[in-house]
Amino acid sequence: MSRSLKKGPYVVEKVFKKVLKQKDSGSREPIKTWARACTIVPEFVGHTFMVHNGKLFHKVFVVEDMVGHKLGEFSPTRMFRGHTEAKKAAAS
Amino acid sequence: MPRILGVDLPNDKRTFVSLRYLYGIGKTVALELCAKAEIDPQTKAGQLTEDQLSRLAGIIEADYVVEGPLRRQTQQNIARLKEIGCYRGSRHRRGLPCHGQRTKTNARTRKGPRKTVAGKKSVKEMR
Repeated sequence: MSRSLKKGPYVVEKVFKKVLKQKDSGSREPIKTWARACTIVPEFVGHTFMVHNGKLFHKVFVVEDMVGHKLGEFSPTRMFRGHTEAKKAAAS
Repeated sequence: MPRILGVDLPNDKRTFVSLRYLYGIGKTVALELCAKAEIDPQTKAGQLTEDQLSRLAGIIEADYVVEGPLRRQTQQNIARLKEIGCYRGSRHRRGLPCHGQRTKTNARTRKGPRKTVAGKKSVKEMR
């Protein structure tokens, strides 16, 4: 189910303001944020974000293709390191 | 056998059923096509005239993405997701479902045939 067009994309004000501020000053420092639900709008392209995943911040450099996705999609919250092979060793 | 865009349509099925043998054409589009080409969807595909066939082919080529181009489009969309490194892309890369389905059980379409792990507790034992 997509969001109603009337409301427009969900963009977190704070993040958006910070991006605009960076645009003015021309600095490209990573923006630290917890706003994983914030939609990536065209203004974000070329900026770097540090997106929280519940534990640490993932560096996300926004390219044009990412527009329309949410920031959180680029900061995985689960880590899968593979299954153990210990069972085999224990049996022998 | 009438041919449309290089695909054989079965003779003895009704037109709107036959059209679905093209990749990218389902029930809705098939009926839409029949309406646009002013063909009775109930006539058997084998009885379509050359003129009707070319009309159908013309409409499909002009307004719809089917077969090869559609397959390519889908592949490109998936490649895009993989490239930008988003969650859905990583799910595609690992061959797991992308729409938030459970993977503890089921998800066999994406994961393929079961790989039994020796020593792993079965569902029965867990109870």
